Amino acid sequence: MSGLQTDARQSTGPLLEITDLKTHFATERGLVRAVDGVTFTLERGKALGVVGESGSGKTVLSRTIMGLLTARGVELSGSVRFAGQEILGLKAKEMRHIWGREMAMIFQDPMSSLNPLMKIGRQIVEPLQIHLDMPSDDAKATAVRLMKDVRIPEAERRLEQYPHELSGGMRQRIMIAIALACGPTMLFADEPTTALDVTVQAQILDLIGEQRRDRNMSVILVTHDLGVVAGHTDEIAVMYGGRLVEKAPTKTLFANMKMPYTKSLLRSIPKLDEPSHTRLATIPGRPPDLVNPPKGCRFAPRCAYARDRCHEEEPVLEVAEHPEHVYRCFYPVGSAEFEERDEQVKAELAREAAAVRAAADQAAADSAHGDVPLAAQLMHGKDI
Amino acid sequence: MRYVSQRLLQFFVVFIVVTFIVMVATRIGSADPVRDLAGGAVSDQQIARVLNDYPYLDQSLFLQYPQWLLDFVTGNLGYSYTQSQSGLAMFQQRLPPTLFMGFWAIVIGLAIAVPVGVYSAYKRDGAFDRGASYTSFAFISMPPLVIAVALLFLVVTRTSLFPTVGGSSYIAPWDSPWGHFRNFFIPSLALGLGLAAVWSRFLRADMNLTLQSDFIMLAKAKGVSPARVLWRHALRSSVLSLITSVALQVSALIGGAVVVEQFFGPRGIGDRLVFAIQQNDILIIQAITAVLVVGVVLANLIVDLLYAVVDPRIRHARKLG
Repeated sequence: MSGLQTDARQSTGPLLEITDLKTHFATERGLVRAVDGVTFTLERGKALGVVGESGSGKTVLSRTIMGLLTARGVELSGSVRFAGQEILGLKAKEMRHIWGREMAMIFQDPMSSLNPLMKIGRQIVEPLQIHLDMPSDDAKATAVRLMKDVRIPEAERRLEQYPHELSGGMRQRIMIAIALACGPTMLFADEPTTALDVTVQAQILDLIGEQRRDRNMSVILVTHDLGVVAGHTDEIAVMYGGRLVEKAPTKTLFANMKMPYTKSLLRSIPKLDEPSHTRLATIPGRPPDLVNPPKGCRFAPRCAYARDRCHEEEPVLEVAEHPEHVYRCFYPVGSAEFEERDEQVKAELAREAAAVRAAADQAAADSAHGDVPLAAQLMHGKDI
Repeated sequence: MRYVSQRLLQFFVVFIVVTFIVMVATRIGSADPVRDLAGGAVSDQQIARVLNDYPYLDQSLFLQYPQWLLDFVTGNLGYSYTQSQSGLAMFQQRLPPTLFMGFWAIVIGLAIAVPVGVYSAYKRDGAFDRGASYTSFAFISMPPLVIAVALLFLVVTRTSLFPTVGGSSYIAPWDSPWGHFRNFFIPSLALGLGLAAVWSRFLRADMNLTLQSDFIMLAKAKGVSPARVLWRHALRSSVLSLITSVALQVSALIGGAVVVEQFFGPRGIGDRLVFAIQQNDILIIQAITAVLVVGVVLANLIVDLLYAVVDPRIRHARKLG
């Protein structure tokens, strides 16, 4: 145990090196390739955002790295090096010294992720006693300090409370306190704000960022929301169909995204500066079937810019102008082929937007005259 | 407070309905209650004595019931004229053996069901789980009598430790712990094995659900050992069905006790109930069933309180209600 601890804190080189990582699930339908050959490294103290739709493999990726997927029917291959040591395939017994102590995870739903029948104090104290052998008084004092770190008011009183007595935001703070308890070097946050109110989301993300800087901890932030990672990560990895499709430093990515998929993800976030009634861009179709993924580029069937080659041949990761920017596309954003097609796409979008606006204006005018009931307008909205 | 009064009201309604039905049933089975109580073809003197003690017995049922109820709550638990024994004395003699047998059966049932259920869920679909599954289905489908015969054949006849058929008698544990064990172990085991089979299945099912929940994954991610995950985190969340089933089985235990008491002894309340039914000793039948109803309802009440002990959310909701 102690050997690994000194390794993680003192060894040089990247904290996490993932090479050709694959997580496949044997099911009755066939082999589900949830994570299919992912490679990246993460430096210590850095935050990586892993972005993708549901079913892109982002949650499975984070759980695989942490070694939490050990059920039967799970096939793992590739390599996960943590602080220079290979940890993929280690038994739960060997991983237990890493879990909670070197690597910690914050789960998506604070409502279901805390033990409903255990007092909050005991849930925070538990890792302290397991990993650091802290006597119970010290552990309690540490728990109170941790709760204050994550800005939980009346920390002493909360020790004796149960999760159901706290709000969602407070419970997520408790989860963060539990995760931070033993001072991990690596924190996984799996959709940490998805289940929370919008007003609380920013607070939680800021809190994670602040703790990362204070503790020089690496963070992998898993989310479906590009907006969440924009202000809170150093790098972004975009996943699609179990593959890494684009990865770049956060600023570079937003300034110069290459994958049409990344662009569509960004477009599907509503923007405040657009006129009202602008139709929210969606990505047509559904994420690929991970048992029988498409032959060529996995995004091609849903891509407005796909050409014949995209359906036949899968692109490899290309390096962009920035050396740390990689993407998996034959006709990336900015290429001549992309621009040519983009003219058509934009024209189509503009036509659609104009039609929607005209319909809205018409409806407003009609209702001003009062000759068409509102319900009828709504029902026939598409035809107007 | 509202919760407590609700439960009390329920208790009284159940008690009155069930004891009234039992009274009606005994009267259907007895054309002449007074004569039956007096022991069949007997002297007018004996009949006069019964009528003197229980003058309401030849009135209509709706008049009889309140008088019986008044007798019962004031401690007159009936009288067996054929046995020349008051209801109270009968309970003092017959209740302890049955209570001990039921208690040990529950202890044995839980002592087997909890480890088996937890381990089956932990190693789900493994060899142990499958073995436990087949074994428990075998025991669930066997009535207590079959288990009793099997125990007689496999254990009692092969060792000289235990009394044989009908030989078990009541020895209080404080008089002789070893004597108590000798007389109670086999009958309690005959009842407890069936309970263990049912309960281990309940616990396994609930544990399987609990083990898939997010907070178990979090406990694992904190570095908590599997044993601690199972016993400290998962078990407590998984015992609600088990507790419910324990309460429900209390009434089933009474049925089982009737059989096992007759087979092995010690002769307790189950045995006495059968005898009273055979003799049409209707006042004793009424007294025993009334006490059993109180017992079953009390068991359910305890279970209800246990829910709140196990789950703070239930405690919370009741405080508000």
